[in-house]
Amino acid sequence: MTVALPAVDKREQPDRGSGSRFGGFAPRSAAGLVVGLALIALFAAVRVLAPSTPAALALPNAARDFATLSISVVVESLPFVFLGIVLSIAVQVWLPEGMLLRRLPRSPLLRRLVLSLLGMLLPVCECGNVPLARGLVAKGLTVAESMTFLFAAPILNPVTIVTTAQAFGWDNGILASRVLGGFFIANLVGWIYGRHPRPGELLTARFQETCTLAEHPSRSAGRIKRSAQMFSQETRAMMPALFVGAGMAGLIQVAVSREVLVALGSNPLWSVLALMLLAFVVAICSNVDAFFILSFGATFMPGGIVAFLVFGPMIDVKMLALMRTTFTAKTLLQLSLLVALCAAVLGLAVNYGR
Amino acid sequence: MVVRRLVGRWQGVVLSLIGLVATIWLGLTGQLALYIHPRYFVFTVVMAVIAGVLALVSFALVPSTHDGHGHGHEPASRWGWLLPAGSVLTIAAAVGALLILPPSTLTTSTVAQRDLNGSASALTLKAPALTSKADYSAFTVRDWASLLRSGAGQDFFADKTATVTGFISADKTDRDVFFVTRFVVACCAVDAQPIGVPVYHPGWQNEYKTDSWVTVTSGFRANPNAASRETIVLVPDSIKPTTQPEQPYVY
Repeated sequence: MTVALPAVDKREQPDRGSGSRFGGFAPRSAAGLVVGLALIALFAAVRVLAPSTPAALALPNAARDFATLSISVVVESLPFVFLGIVLSIAVQVWLPEGMLLRRLPRSPLLRRLVLSLLGMLLPVCECGNVPLARGLVAKGLTVAESMTFLFAAPILNPVTIVTTAQAFGWDNGILASRVLGGFFIANLVGWIYGRHPRPGELLTARFQETCTLAEHPSRSAGRIKRSAQMFSQETRAMMPALFVGAGMAGLIQVAVSREVLVALGSNPLWSVLALMLLAFVVAICSNVDAFFILSFGATFMPGGIVAFLVFGPMIDVKMLALMRTTFTAKTLLQLSLLVALCAAVLGLAVNYGR
Repeated sequence: MVVRRLVGRWQGVVLSLIGLVATIWLGLTGQLALYIHPRYFVFTVVMAVIAGVLALVSFALVPSTHDGHGHGHEPASRWGWLLPAGSVLTIAAAVGALLILPPSTLTTSTVAQRDLNGSASALTLKAPALTSKADYSAFTVRDWASLLRSGAGQDFFADKTATVTGFISADKTDRDVFFVTRFVVACCAVDAQPIGVPVYHPGWQNEYKTDSWVTVTSGFRANPNAASRETIVLVPDSIKPTTQPEQPYVY
């Protein structure tokens, strides 16, 4: 999908209005391109010339591991964030106006139900969903609906379902509890925030500004130019959040001993809370979290595992940093508490219900 | 003011460039495996290249002075410098971590954080079939650790010889025992689980450093120290120091 875009655009460009485009390549564009290439060359040179053995810098082990873990989060999430940005650009700039949103049902309840299944079509990890959700809101999705999408998509996602099934099998209730529980919580959150009298207040001022701009797109600018603008705008929002989130995730991993959390795992009550805390701390992708938690499967109560698998994809350190680009801190606090409460109830129901 | 505007406008693209240059370099030098599972290699590098093209197009086409929409003019306030300062700090940290710091595996510090051999699936998922015909010479740290955990008795291990490679981490309780350790990775280094095979070698602290890589060849014996948690251990004939292998993690 993404690879084909520039080709389509080149054909359309000559028929469109003014604006800088590849045909009339202004000197300033050339200068910009040179700056970009120079930066790439500079970064590559720094990377190649930097010392290549860990021993060269006598860092203590904990500091080394903090760096390794943070870098690992960045390297792992970066392609998904880029994919999310590319999809977001596709939805906002390249899809015909309203093609996606106009086909949704009218009733808010049904709309949210359909939106929570959108993840089936877009198997992106949760970090990639944030830029996509931003793009959808800019296109007219309500704030509450965007929350439903954000929380449902990483769980109701073919890759996640397959890996969860591989890890835990189809018939012991963990998969069903995860999928149905995630679906229910996402729609509950959407329903609650759908009743908010002034949904705009849930968003950061900066993102509101972005949305008003998106409502009046400068038609004069070509599609490639608008795509480039959106790329610069979305990376400006996402990248600092991703890097800061990765740093926090790395720091917590080094600071919090996992053994403490694991030790609590066999108690019906504490297993739920400890595993939710673990999910918050490890900030792992929903596509593979089932394998991760399976590694503790023998020691943990199933309710704790379900709470981990439902809470983790929705709320964790990295996701909060990414979502902070869009929602106010107060909203995120409410959301975290609401989702945590629901996940805890679900986990306890699984533990005590059997 | 100029700095603030430049930083505000370009920090996202610059951070992307730092990330993707580092990713592609790691890919080219075969070091991506230090951070992520090999199944993501292609996807990661392809997305980095696509993002690189988009970033270059942004440099070429997005006006650098103002963006034509009139935002980016935040009201000047007393704390207004905080935001650009934070951005510069983020960029500096990204350059330091991704471009200057030499790539590195996880160390024993993380082994201590995460229960060694505490993870069930890291050990049982690939537990080898216990047939008499099995080729034990090809068994890895993971295979032996799984067998030890599965509770196979001393009789089973009596005539087996293991050759395992890993880094040294200390046993928490038994001073005479160290582990030949590897990390099992499911997705990325964040989920790495340490596994290891216990080696009985009193005074190993004087000969080897933790975190150094060794190859141990030996048969299994009962641990002379009956109080130890590890009842069956390797009592090595030879411990050869070695270098970190190409793929330090196991999958």
